[in-house]
Amino acid sequence: MTSARDAWTLCIDFGTAFSKAAAAPTGAWSRFHPEDVRPLMLSQENGANPFLLDSAVFIDEDRILFGRAAIERADALAYKKRQALRSFKTLLSVSDLDRVLNTVAPASIDPHRVFPMRDLVVLYLAYLLAATDRAIRSDPVLSAASSIERRYAAPAWRSGDSGGLHASVVRLFGEAEALRAALGDKILAPQGVTLKGVGDALPGALAHPRSVYMGLVFEATAAAAYTSIGLEESASHMIVVDMGAGTTDIAAVARSGGRMEELPAARVTLKQAGDFIDKVVANIVLDANGWARSPEQQSVLWRLLMRHMRDIKESLFADGRAMLRHENRTVSVTLRDLEKDKDFKVFLKNLEKAYDESMAAVRDSAIERKRRGIQSIAVGGGANAPFIQALLKRKPSRSGKLVIEARPATPEWAFAPEFRGNLAPVFPQLSIAIGGALAPETMLAARSELSLAAAGRNGIPAAPD
Amino acid sequence: MPPAKRPSPKRPAKRTTAKRAPPVDALAAAAWLEADSALAEALVESDRAITANTAEGRDEALALLSLALGRAARRRGLSRIGKRGASEAFDGARHELALRFKRAPKRVRVEIEGVARGREILIKARVAPVRAKRT
Repeated sequence: MTSARDAWTLCIDFGTAFSKAAAAPTGAWSRFHPEDVRPLMLSQENGANPFLLDSAVFIDEDRILFGRAAIERADALAYKKRQALRSFKTLLSVSDLDRVLNTVAPASIDPHRVFPMRDLVVLYLAYLLAATDRAIRSDPVLSAASSIERRYAAPAWRSGDSGGLHASVVRLFGEAEALRAALGDKILAPQGVTLKGVGDALPGALAHPRSVYMGLVFEATAAAAYTSIGLEESASHMIVVDMGAGTTDIAAVARSGGRMEELPAARVTLKQAGDFIDKVVANIVLDANGWARSPEQQSVLWRLLMRHMRDIKESLFADGRAMLRHENRTVSVTLRDLEKDKDFKVFLKNLEKAYDESMAAVRDSAIERKRRGIQSIAVGGGANAPFIQALLKRKPSRSGKLVIEARPATPEWAFAPEFRGNLAPVFPQLSIAIGGALAPETMLAARSELSLAAAGRNGIPAAPD
Repeated sequence: MPPAKRPSPKRPAKRTTAKRAPPVDALAAAAWLEADSALAEALVESDRAITANTAEGRDEALALLSLALGRAARRRGLSRIGKRGASEAFDGARHELALRFKRAPKRVRVEIEGVARGREILIKARVAPVRAKRT
């Protein structure tokens, strides 16, 4: 076990719904002790999972709310077509990031029409940084660390210029650090911050970003890191399937000596993922329940299904069927129903095609480098779906003596006795943050510092740290 | 003159393992939080099964109870040991024989699945020896 005074590495994972963070001692890659991994308790909301911070910003009449408070307020005002801004991960992963950041948020998100997307992203990052710092302060080990190096995880499916995009994201973090310093811990209050307070602090933060050092680790690399750490032998190539809510991303990494490089030819993104499956399942249930004929009955049933969809999919994938009570009836759906569905069949065909294309690129790379092993792994909400697990066992054509090994979503080390069985159940949600913290420096996709000299806009020097 | 104080051997620094231990309690609380709603549902369905007036109503409640318990168990990291009816090599750490035998059988059939939590065996699978087929 490491000393508390050691240097630590912290990785932030912007999930579509939740942000997560985890820390590991710097150098954990070469001397790994599972018990040293420390997920951060970002949330202090009552009744909320302390490791998951709701990714949300809501602009109210005269205040800006964050996290759970933002979601609850947006739900309460849904009848006015008001929305919280979410999916920062998708936003920060677009290839034309600067253009998107300069667009004004829609009226459903910003009824005042004063905030460009950039401001809202900076506001959320300031909230996330404040939550991260609070978690570090309350952690008996991390609060005594001699230094903490920061990273963030991002999907590898954005444009080829990851270095340029990384610089833009680091700039956003620098602005967020300056904003957080100006607003203090008020930003963590359930009542959020006033529009006036934000209006006073934001221009200065944008003009005088703080100096920050951030590394970028691709999500596929993070998955490779937590999967292969501590193993005496692991394959040189790994293909990663990440089925989230909005997209299914397939990416691959190859190890060359101590370095890990992402294979651009293996990147594939499908715009169908968990949300699509939800709709397919809900439609199957609606079709099978003829009593729900009126639009109102169908709408009530649809909303009920969507509210319980996480439970429905879990039972469907693990037990082969799901059931739900509705008024005096029981509705049920089986995995067989899903597999027979026409829309699902098309989705599965597209998914298999995308996987095969990606795998062909991995196969070619492995053969070219005279390697024999390819590991496959699934991460994200759909990792345990039987059709995803079946995908991981597919062998590419013309693969000769290549050995394909499907790895479990939760690595063996997460069952270490020190966790007393408590890390494994929550591991899939925290896996990318944990893998990102464990990955050695050589696995980073980019690292850069927002230097004080380069940080200022319009020739204005950056604020000192 | 008092005897010279013997230098005491330097004790190794005490490891403050409790302080450096992983945040197990918080991880457990997070897992319980995820499991609680499923357990609550299981409790309700259990009552429905007990008070059901018809066989159909009881079967439905039992099916819902089983699914809800399955979700609660998964969210707490529990998994089943073996599959009912499956034949596997006898392993004393994972299997419990329904009857005592002088010699442990080589192969057994799972009669009732066991339960594990990670590497920890909570309930061994109840098994019976597989008799070799007579030729």
